[in-house]
Amino acid sequence: MSFRIGIDVGGTFTDLFLWSSAGAVETYKTLSTPEDPSVGVLNGLRRIAEAHDMELEDLAAQIETIVHGTTVTTNATLTRNGAKTGLLTTAGVRDALEMRRGIREKQYDNRYQNVTPLVPRYLRRGVTGRLDHAGAELTPLSGDDLRAALRLFADVGVEAVAVCFMNSFGNGEHERAAAELVRAEMPEAFLSVSSEVLPTVRFYNRVSTTVLNAYVGPILHGYLSSLTEKLAAAGFAGVLLVMQSNGGVALPEVTRLRPATTLLSGPAGGPRAAAAYTRAQGTEDCIVVDMGGTSFDASLVRGGEAAMNNEGDVDRLRLALPMLAITTIGAGGGSIGWTDESGLLHMGPQSAGALPGPACYGLGGERPTCTDANVVLGYLDPEDFAGGEMTLLTEQARESIRGQIAEPLGLDVDAAAAGMFRVINANMAHGVRDITVKVGLDPREFPMVVAGGAGALHACMIANELEMPRLLVPPTASVLCAAGMLLSDLQHDYVRSYVSRLADIDLDALRGLVTEMIGEGDGQLALEGVPDERIERQVALDLRYLKQYHEVTVAVPMDAIQSGDRATIAESFHAEHNRLYGYDLAGGGMGIELINVRLRAIGRTEKPDLPELEAGPAAPDAARKGSRRAYAPETARFVDMPVFDGHALAAGNRFGGPALIERTDTTILVTESFTAEIDRHGSCLLTRRGS
Amino acid sequence: MTDVKIDKVLVAILGRALKAITDEMSVSMEKTTRSPILCEAKDFVTGLYDAEGNMLEQTENLPILSFSLSPVCAHIAEKFRGNVFPGDVFFHNDVFTLGNQNNDVAAFKPIFIGDELVAWSATKGHQADIGGAVRGGYNPNATEVWQEALRIPAVKVIERGVLRQDVWDLIFANIRLQIVQEDMRAEIGACTVGERRLVSLIEKYGLESFVAHKEHLFAATKKLMQAEIRAIPDGTYRGESTVYFDGKNPGSEYQIRVAITVDGEHITFDYSKTDAQTNGFVNGTYTSSASATILTFLQMVNPDIPHNQGMVEPIDIVIPEGTILNAAYPAATTFGNHLCPPNADAIIRALADAIPERVTAGWNQLLCSLSTGMDPRKDDAYIDILFMGLKGGSGAMAGCDGYDHIGMIDASGGILDQDYEMFEQQTPHLLLEHEYLQDSAGAGRHRGGLGVVTRYLVGSDDTQVVIFGDGDVEPAFGLFGGGEGTLNKIELHYPDASVHTPTSKDLVAGVPKGTLYVQEAGGGGGYGDPLERPAAQVAQEVRNGILSIEVARETYGVAVDDALRLDEAGTRELRSR
Repeated sequence: MSFRIGIDVGGTFTDLFLWSSAGAVETYKTLSTPEDPSVGVLNGLRRIAEAHDMELEDLAAQIETIVHGTTVTTNATLTRNGAKTGLLTTAGVRDALEMRRGIREKQYDNRYQNVTPLVPRYLRRGVTGRLDHAGAELTPLSGDDLRAALRLFADVGVEAVAVCFMNSFGNGEHERAAAELVRAEMPEAFLSVSSEVLPTVRFYNRVSTTVLNAYVGPILHGYLSSLTEKLAAAGFAGVLLVMQSNGGVALPEVTRLRPATTLLSGPAGGPRAAAAYTRAQGTEDCIVVDMGGTSFDASLVRGGEAAMNNEGDVDRLRLALPMLAITTIGAGGGSIGWTDESGLLHMGPQSAGALPGPACYGLGGERPTCTDANVVLGYLDPEDFAGGEMTLLTEQARESIRGQIAEPLGLDVDAAAAGMFRVINANMAHGVRDITVKVGLDPREFPMVVAGGAGALHACMIANELEMPRLLVPPTASVLCAAGMLLSDLQHDYVRSYVSRLADIDLDALRGLVTEMIGEGDGQLALEGVPDERIERQVALDLRYLKQYHEVTVAVPMDAIQSGDRATIAESFHAEHNRLYGYDLAGGGMGIELINVRLRAIGRTEKPDLPELEAGPAAPDAARKGSRRAYAPETARFVDMPVFDGHALAAGNRFGGPALIERTDTTILVTESFTAEIDRHGSCLLTRRGS
Repeated sequence: MTDVKIDKVLVAILGRALKAITDEMSVSMEKTTRSPILCEAKDFVTGLYDAEGNMLEQTENLPILSFSLSPVCAHIAEKFRGNVFPGDVFFHNDVFTLGNQNNDVAAFKPIFIGDELVAWSATKGHQADIGGAVRGGYNPNATEVWQEALRIPAVKVIERGVLRQDVWDLIFANIRLQIVQEDMRAEIGACTVGERRLVSLIEKYGLESFVAHKEHLFAATKKLMQAEIRAIPDGTYRGESTVYFDGKNPGSEYQIRVAITVDGEHITFDYSKTDAQTNGFVNGTYTSSASATILTFLQMVNPDIPHNQGMVEPIDIVIPEGTILNAAYPAATTFGNHLCPPNADAIIRALADAIPERVTAGWNQLLCSLSTGMDPRKDDAYIDILFMGLKGGSGAMAGCDGYDHIGMIDASGGILDQDYEMFEQQTPHLLLEHEYLQDSAGAGRHRGGLGVVTRYLVGSDDTQVVIFGDGDVEPAFGLFGGGEGTLNKIELHYPDASVHTPTSKDLVAGVPKGTLYVQEAGGGGGYGDPLERPAAQVAQEVRNGILSIEVARETYGVAVDDALRLDEAGTRELRSR
């Protein structure tokens, strides 16, 4: 027997998802160990070994593949515990990194401060040397300036050096010369060079990304070394892959070259797994929501592929690398309820976290949370929480809600809990609206896949808010990201700037850029052992109408590039612009301008099949556990609500709400207007009646 | 009020839902407009109003435009009473019927449930051109509104979904740039987004319930604002500031005088003693000045108060017609939005002693330039507003330093620098420097925000540079022992080695290629005694080069060693003097 394991290291829990060659799947959760997350990973593997009654070494020897998602780089950035970093940049623009183009995100809040830059000003060194807008040299690079900067860096113990010069996106020679000198003078330092990391126009995006890459480089390097050593010591001889923010995976050696590609890898596995489960329903489009203890993430899948952005922010710092398009809001099981001076109810964004946690945990938390409301409403079984590992204190939940919500609002405790439930559902619905209506999509056209431990209690009401007709709770809902990691391809993204009117493009130059990127992608995939027939290459262009400021990324057939078919390129752009913004200027004679050329190199992996359940009758009687007093939210009253054992349901079981379905890792609330049905993979499909 | 039973939870949900709608309207504007003033600088606002024009919610990317929409909406509702139908769209910019600035053109769309007018959605943005004598609208020589702009009193451009082509043509025949038509279509589009979302929200909860809960939301918000006002001791507080140079008369000065009366949970801003209007374009309109007042006051209260009618109800603003803040017909007023910084100064000075922990020291004032010409590389016209150059520092306050390189108080960090490399792609200029300006911040226990220096080489012959703004005479003031920021400055170093310093409202034509453009945006004022600033923090700023060794020593009493590390003994000695 052999195993594949997906491991998602989160802030609180490390999720493990195991797939055996016999076709079985298993999920595990263990506490994360933030000081060295690889300890938690090994603890998780030990848990699996115990469950299979074997030694860790025996298990390790049978593991074919481990796919690993990590938040070490994200956490190093958020806590400012990255490497001591120096920046070599063009004289005159060293403050761009800290200025962030002069934004203050909260306009009316004079106490709102700028973020601390990753490189302090005295380690941002301007160097004489200048290229013009087209990459031609205006002033030669000053070796004296460089050497003076490197002496300072060495004196103060700089561990990572970022190099980013003006206009280097079109000509990397100055940066290469500087990099050589860094290698010679500071051979131990991690080096991040903008013309290699992100050779695209827009200085702030490039310098910020290059610095982030340097800042987390040594951290990722150290962590992966520690992890591979521990795994090797345990006898693991399979392939270790690392999850990247773009939804693809890569070998550790490859991610070490561009460590910033792991900065938002945490949730990147979810969409792929979601699509695998919706495929059974005949669609590869869906909205994925993931509600945990502190936050609620919403993302979008179209045609089996996660919707991506070409840039985003980490702690208000620009990261211009392809990443999952995701909206995160402060809504989770631990979200704290409070009332303001005018008597209005709010939920979050503050969270009680795991410690002190909700009042009902009895760990010292006194603020009423979403979980406390869910206990009062009868949704969670106090005696059987987290698979019986924890007992919830209903009275403590009621008391905290009574004092802090019910009395200020003049409501009884039940009504106050119901109010908390409604407010947090409305907040989460806005998060879903954010990733759909804001990009011109109608949420009603997509099924919603519900992940995370807390999501399934709230999903029906979020769907009601947005009039979404269909929901799906996969059997692996609580570890969906870990499951998705095993379904991901090897994937590398490249980009080059080429600023020109479409009509004036030098086709040989364009083809040259594409060929160059194909060479890089093929090289990395070869290193990862992907045979040529499993490699796929996708080209996209960032285009805009002349005088516009925002580009649209348009997928273009490789043929159109090779044959220089400008008409096809233009048509693709007009169509995408129209889809996004409701109009195009195809007939207006308005010129089109090219800004960037993008290449995605994909190495298709072999993916395991989802296991299937035994078929059962339509009636779910065999899984009926009993009933309890719980709140039916659509009709706003407490009822005696049927409770089902989620692990005893069979494919084909079908029943109407209101009902509760209990699993060890999550509880599903089926509200009055929904019908639940179990599909062949064990997903719970929820359909709104009359839709 | 109806007798609908109020569901307090629904009130909270409704507030959040309205905000989501105006945000969505804002995204629609940002993504579809052409003019960089709109899509890059986000010089626009989106909002929802009830049938009478009361504010339901707004997204205020640039707050100075924000508080004229509700009064104009009420004006349109009254003017067209009985003549408003589903599918109508109205335009408005007229500063003598409550518009704030000629270039800020608004679109309003009535929202119906069945036959009943229940609300309005609106968008207002700064249009790239609005007719008048000078392209772009900033005409320092104007003495009357017609020399500045086409007046658009409230007009219906679409009736029951049908474009009134004759009206539309009349308007756009008087505007130079084609993109203004497209950007006004984008405004209408954003209104439609708001209309669709609000209708589905109202249908979900029922009209009667919506109206009752809306009233409750106003009342709840009003309570929040009243609580903030109650926290200010009762009394009348007076403040004053100076407006320098009206664009016509060198050395001219005008005083803004405000008397702020706090009476329990009500606050009145009275500008009756402010100087008379100018005969140039440096004049405010009632709503540009009232917006300035509101946005300044909002920075002194809880920033999380929802923006609806309840927020503004406890606030009265008195600005007599004929003053520089409310010029009488038919004055020129294009500079009016830029009277916000001195207006804010007067308010801060008035309230500083009453609420010392809630005010900032003075902010750097706007001094802005734009360059136009023919790009010789493309043989095509370019226009650039040098956003990166105009952003100085904000004032410090109790407990925190000012914000570096934020820009004028009426945008408060909402306007962004153009990216350096895009600047060199889109203009023929070469950027030489854009960095924090050493010693520009007003000193203090908390220092002001840093200003910046910008230098570029002009890349086209016969370039025209237009300049408007202030802050070149009086620097941002400090508070409670804090020091002043530095002044704004623009210089043109011509290739023949001569140096020209334009005035703060100027138009310089024929600037040759190779001219060095130099601009300094000053720092914000400091707060509290600089000798109380932690010495380690001062030494760190010396090491970072934003503070000179001399200023650290003379102003802060902090000594550093040769390696720019804190010299503790030396500092003790300096500070014990």
